[in-house]
Amino acid sequence: MLNDETMKAKFLSHGHAKELFDSIEAFIFDCDGVIWKGDTLIDGVSQTLEMLRSKGKKLAFVTNNSTKSRRQYAKKFHSLGISVPEDEIFCSSFAASMYLKSINFPQDKKVYAFGEEGMLEELELAGYTGLGGPEDGKKVVELKANSLFEHDKSVGAVVVGLDQYINYYKLQYATLCIRENPGCLFIATNRDAVGNMTDLQEWPGAGCMVAAVCGSTEKEPIVVGKPSTFMMEFLLKKFNVTSSRMCMVGDRLDTDILFGQSAGCKTLLVLSGVTTQSILQDPSNEIQPDYYTEIQIQAEKTGFKPKETKVFNIVFVGNAMLCEIHRCGS
Amino acid sequence: MLSATSSKALSTSATLFNPIYTHRVFTQNLDFKLSGFKRICYYSNPFTQLVSFKCKGNKFSRMASNFSMRASAQPLKNPDELIDSVETFIFDCDGVIWKGDKLIDGVPETLDMLRSKGKRLVFVTNNSTKSRKQYGKKFESLGLNVSEEEIFASSFAAAAYLKSINFPKDKKIYVIGEDGILKELELAGFQYLGGPVDGDKKIELKPGFMMEHDKNVGAVVVGFDRYFNYYKVQYGTLCIRENPGCLFIATNRDAVTHLTDAQEWAGGGSMVGALCGSTRLEPLVVGKPSTFMMDYLAHKFGILKSQICMVGDRLDTDILFGQNGGCKTLLVLSGVTTLSALHSPSNSIQPDFYTNKISDFLSLKAVTA
Repeated sequence: MLNDETMKAKFLSHGHAKELFDSIEAFIFDCDGVIWKGDTLIDGVSQTLEMLRSKGKKLAFVTNNSTKSRRQYAKKFHSLGISVPEDEIFCSSFAASMYLKSINFPQDKKVYAFGEEGMLEELELAGYTGLGGPEDGKKVVELKANSLFEHDKSVGAVVVGLDQYINYYKLQYATLCIRENPGCLFIATNRDAVGNMTDLQEWPGAGCMVAAVCGSTEKEPIVVGKPSTFMMEFLLKKFNVTSSRMCMVGDRLDTDILFGQSAGCKTLLVLSGVTTQSILQDPSNEIQPDYYTEIQIQAEKTGFKPKETKVFNIVFVGNAMLCEIHRCGS
Repeated sequence: MLSATSSKALSTSATLFNPIYTHRVFTQNLDFKLSGFKRICYYSNPFTQLVSFKCKGNKFSRMASNFSMRASAQPLKNPDELIDSVETFIFDCDGVIWKGDKLIDGVPETLDMLRSKGKRLVFVTNNSTKSRKQYGKKFESLGLNVSEEEIFASSFAAAAYLKSINFPKDKKIYVIGEDGILKELELAGFQYLGGPVDGDKKIELKPGFMMEHDKNVGAVVVGFDRYFNYYKVQYGTLCIRENPGCLFIATNRDAVTHLTDAQEWAGGGSMVGALCGSTRLEPLVVGKPSTFMMDYLAHKFGILKSQICMVGDRLDTDILFGQNGGCKTLLVLSGVTTLSALHSPSNSIQPDFYTNKISDFLSLKAVTA
């Protein structure tokens, strides 16, 4: 087991809050396992976000979960008591549509959505015709002689993401489009193996649906979600800061942290989601964030004026600069 | 700037555990380029101390016995010569004997002719939807004289594999697949869960909802499943990830298959792929191109592999299966593979011979390019 000295990722402990805190202008948060677990808010989150905004920090939320659109995510935040405008949210459903736009995907071609509502909504918002989605989750396949499974020949792209309504109909439809429509694109919102779709346990992620389609098409997809840095282009434009002044906060090494590292950001791993300390410290793990921490409830004194009863402890260690942000109970 | 994923992993092929064969442990290097993870997976049998896998049968793997370049496939001009040179013919079914539920022309007469010449006939199919018994009925309904003992479906292979490793009878098997697998497991005396009934089960992803799974499941068997759904993926994933030593077995990984005569359908490779995606593990494959079924029937019938000709329509399963097993191989063009696919520069699998369909044995016609 690696200890703190030999492991590259530093556990956050006491330090000089201001200097390092000031070096970060924008915080990018993953959602599942960082902000919420399923539909349950993680402790201390709203106070933390409030505090960061009050200090003038810019925030963005980048999630690989393609089941909702930006608008639907804004609604989810609102229902959890947090105010987040749509334009701070970058979900992979949005990323897929933006990718199609970026390559001038023709408006007269259709897109088969192997995913949920959010994916369809973002496609429509971008001006594309989306087929599939949750409705196809109800369709049953008949395997009979002389029965032909029809598919729309004008589908020019298949987008695959998390889909709890996965079934054989969708697998076959997507397979036929990719194999038989000339030039049909195979796009994956992300490839996460599992995620905290509910607060109590992990569930198969988009990685499952994507691998199913890889299995039948023998092709590899273009991935638009983390750790692909596609979404970073939007973030850079939005914040107008260099990536070195951004900090990616996530719970997953092979998506969140890798995304941050590939884009040149600082990275902070939280242990409130899918990654445990032992996974981080396992010798086979090659991905080391700059820092790691646990969101904790603590009461400790700092130089900041205590106002709230809950505490979000972010501590930065590195370059001989330590930074600690607490809000303590009075 | 986008990064395309390019993670290809090796499949582990199961072999029959038998002291006659040399066993070696192969480590798998699962290189997920996008994730930056490199995980070394050791597959061992928790129920015996010995490990018995031959890591072959994938176009991305290097086969120790196959470094030399193979000559291009020859059109079958002299069927009698081929027939006389072997004692046993192994036939694939979909695309060779039938397409969906339609018999391919000339098949009954061809099989009769081969039998009259004293040849042993065996039928090996990756299709796990039926049991051997059910396949026997299908052959009968098509007017073919084939007995159950001559049929080796991947559903049977899964059960036979579990028997070969002495999978304990008090452990359960979770099945993501159809009736054929369930029937074969039952015949072999194993307890199973899942199968088609789980196709009706729904998931509700809401706070406080937790899927329970049987901690006594010691193996998950995945094959073609038209009733595939999220419930099954989660159940299989939980068993594999959380039950210590739980095996992940695939009947086959065919990408597409002719389930009806009119078109191709997403195959077992799709369902297996889904479980690989959620578990980040590779399965033990019992169907073609794994040599498990070849080893099994060679042992059962006491035949030498050099005395066998494998006849199939698919390069990366049937022909590779035959080559891995050291048999002669004949590709027929009556199924999924076209002549241009065979001759394509990107194709590296060359059978010994190719022909239009098996009834060419009778007609002595050469294949025109």
